Amino acid sequence: MKRKLTPRFLIIGLVLTWAIWAIWPTFQYQNLSDNEIESLREEGKLQQIESRMIKQGLDLKGGMYIVLEVNLPILLENLAENKDSKFNRVIASVQNQLIQSPESDFFTLFTSATNESNLKLSRYYYDYGSSNSAILTSLGDEADDAINRVLEILQNRIDQFGVAEPTIQKQGNRRIIVELAGVQDSERARTLLESTALLEFYLVKDITVTNDIMVKIDQAVKGDKSITAITKAASQVKTEEPVKGDDETVSVSELFGDTENSESESDANISEEAQLAERPFSTLLRNLGQSIGVPEKNVYAVKKILEQPEVREKLAAVGGAFLFSHKAEEYPLVDGTVETMYNLFLVEDEAELTGGVVDEAKANLGQQGSSSAGQPIVNLSMNTDGARKWSIVTGSNVGRQVALVLDKKVHMAPNIKEKISGGGTLIEGFADINEAKDIAIVLRAGALPAPVDIIEERVVGPSLGADSIRRGTQSVLIGLALVLVFMVVYYRISGLIANFALIWNIILVLAVLASLQATLTLPGIAGLILTVGMSIDANVIIFERIREELRKGKTPRAAVDGGYDRALTTIIDANVTTVIAALVLMQFGSGPIRGFATVLFWGILISMFTAIFVTRTVFNSFTSRKGLSKLSI
Amino acid sequence: MRIIKDTNIDFMGQRKLSALLSAFLISAGVISLVMNGGPKLSIDFKGGTLVSVQYSEPMNVTAVRSSLSDVNIEGQSFDFSREEIKHFGSNSAVLIRVPHIENAPHNFAQKIVDHLYESFPGQVPESKTAFILGKGTVSPKIGSELSGKAIMAIISALGLILLYISIRFEFRFALGAIAALGHDVLITLGIFSLLGNEISLSIIAAFLTIVGYSLNDTIVIFDRIRENVKSSKRESYVGVVNRSINDSLSRTIITSMTTFMVVFVLWLFGGEVIHNFALAMIIGVIVGTYSSIFIASPIVVKLHENATK
Repeated sequence: MKRKLTPRFLIIGLVLTWAIWAIWPTFQYQNLSDNEIESLREEGKLQQIESRMIKQGLDLKGGMYIVLEVNLPILLENLAENKDSKFNRVIASVQNQLIQSPESDFFTLFTSATNESNLKLSRYYYDYGSSNSAILTSLGDEADDAINRVLEILQNRIDQFGVAEPTIQKQGNRRIIVELAGVQDSERARTLLESTALLEFYLVKDITVTNDIMVKIDQAVKGDKSITAITKAASQVKTEEPVKGDDETVSVSELFGDTENSESESDANISEEAQLAERPFSTLLRNLGQSIGVPEKNVYAVKKILEQPEVREKLAAVGGAFLFSHKAEEYPLVDGTVETMYNLFLVEDEAELTGGVVDEAKANLGQQGSSSAGQPIVNLSMNTDGARKWSIVTGSNVGRQVALVLDKKVHMAPNIKEKISGGGTLIEGFADINEAKDIAIVLRAGALPAPVDIIEERVVGPSLGADSIRRGTQSVLIGLALVLVFMVVYYRISGLIANFALIWNIILVLAVLASLQATLTLPGIAGLILTVGMSIDANVIIFERIREELRKGKTPRAAVDGGYDRALTTIIDANVTTVIAALVLMQFGSGPIRGFATVLFWGILISMFTAIFVTRTVFNSFTSRKGLSKLSI
Repeated sequence: MRIIKDTNIDFMGQRKLSALLSAFLISAGVISLVMNGGPKLSIDFKGGTLVSVQYSEPMNVTAVRSSLSDVNIEGQSFDFSREEIKHFGSNSAVLIRVPHIENAPHNFAQKIVDHLYESFPGQVPESKTAFILGKGTVSPKIGSELSGKAIMAIISALGLILLYISIRFEFRFALGAIAALGHDVLITLGIFSLLGNEISLSIIAAFLTIVGYSLNDTIVIFDRIRENVKSSKRESYVGVVNRSINDSLSRTIITSMTTFMVVFVLWLFGGEVIHNFALAMIIGVIVGTYSSIFIASPIVVKLHENATK
């Protein structure tokens, strides 16, 4: 009986052709130099290759992985109108509960909190419906919509930033995963992603109002034990600061003429500790003439004080808010040392103008002759609506200070010299031109509807990534070579057939991964190793069976047939259990585990195909030859 | 070539001895686990911050530790000197692990990197990019979700496997296979706990690989038992199981050997990132092979004896 082998060879040939076609882009990419990749990117051909190749995970290649989550409490706060203390309390309690039990759902907590405290949502969200349940539903929709907009904006930012192979995808309803493989400057990328890009223009409050409020804050927190502990801790961190009484950087209250405490403050011998007890807030600050300075070491304490409920009440009463400057600067002290300080501004609590009016933003170096000559700046132009508002604001506030605020940090606070009618303005206060460029990108891409929190961040440095992939690949190849050699030594020609099947198996798995556009990670490699093991095992089971049959005195052909038949159930039972495990892990597992399961699932299916179908075909083509009396096994 | 000639080893006769050995290994691991308060979970599950940096010359861990006793981040002072600080791969690379801190300063991991960079001027590479080997921050939120999902996945996978083996074989085989799996994972966990290695996501992947491998190994032997039970009615059950193990012994040895070769090379040369992962697999291959013969099969015999009594 001559078996028809031609259709079998045809199937094998087709599958092999497909596999090589599928794996080609990956192979091509591996052999490109960095320069070639750059030129292909410029020609727009890189996209084609990238869309069909296996990506390397961060654990192998280096780069960064970030999981962002939309901050729902703040989103709801932003959407609410006429917020009052009752509303704030509800939001705060939900935020606390989220810290206690991080896995609970925000809307569930928010719903129960509103019910408990009898909060009428229609007071704050009258645009969203009349009953609480209707409002909650449309707020839920709003949140879903927000995440989609965030996704779009982040995509836009990353595109403009220009990084190879970005992956950005939604996970569930609230999260976005960004993977930037091979990114060198992870800090820049992080800032770019995290920035809400909310640009606001605030008027700075009068110095007398500022002075007044500081006195009130001092009184409000005086004697508060928790505050005393924090301010004490801050004052003990004094390594570079001189402890001179006649320091030029005098306490702010001194300069602004604190009337109520005038006797005590004129006393130059008063100890720092007593000052702290008397004026816990203003003692932490320094007078910088035009503005208020906060030494770096005091920032935490100042922020803590500003978070106190009673302090917030005092600020709300005058309709003001304190904002820090974007970066710290070094200020020379009278004794020749320098101190790094942030600036603190008291601004109106309502912004005059927000970033929605920005038409175009460009990073530049400041022109010669201007105050910002040679400094990195961002040029803004506004749309007509924005330009009109801006001219009204500037026109009616000539002489006042206006703060340009990005993500609640003051970049600059110039005095308005005259009415600005063209809608053009510029932002200063960047550390370098790269920062200005990134700010221009985020301003162009638009502000996020709500701030995002980074809830997971992983950065693998390029050196570690390169090292791990080099050594990982090398050792996998060495291990593989050892197995291949062993199989030939042990099973002779049959071993060669098994090796052929094994290499086939690996190529096919990689081909499937490439067409799934999967990312190969460390757990994925684990899956591949297990696949190799399973594939070898299937062949070993078959060969040992064939040997048994041969020992019983069967002819080569009968032995091969018998061996395959008897091995088949074993292989299927052993593999099906593993496939079940792989399928379950694909369903429930997250990220890396899913990667492992995907490789394993396809690997086992393919190894069953190669072991049962491919090697069988090769064996049959041997045994169907006439006169074969010995099998090399 | 043949390594294993026709053997006739009385495996089942050793089952008391093997039960003792396994009990010893498991209890050593479990005692260590209990004393350490459970497995040492990585930040993947617990949340926290991990930073690893590369100095340009060998560093003394004690020096790094004392430099971390007072880290000032924007006026907030932290003492990390009691956290886990150790060499990472070579003795010029250092790894620091800090548990999750509520309301941690913004960009916390980078602030630690900055502190480490500035504390030892002259002993660091010129660029900070080359200095950072890796850093990661995971919020406990992600961690607890992950643990929940992982447990869910493992329970449902085990349930389905139990079901499949019960249908294809008999229920007692399913129990034997699951017991062998539990045995393997417990021993590997125990050894990891004794060595003080932490359980990260990729170690979980290694555990799953062990599970897959051990299961495969067990099923191959079970399959032989099923076949031999059908063909020889007169032989005792223990005898059939023994013969089945002997029949498939050559396959067991060769498969274990080849897999061992791959993971051993990976362990030896694979680099720091892959090291613990490969270690888990090495333990798994050895324990998995052992448990198919000495745990899964004796349980099947024992359950059979109980049923026929």
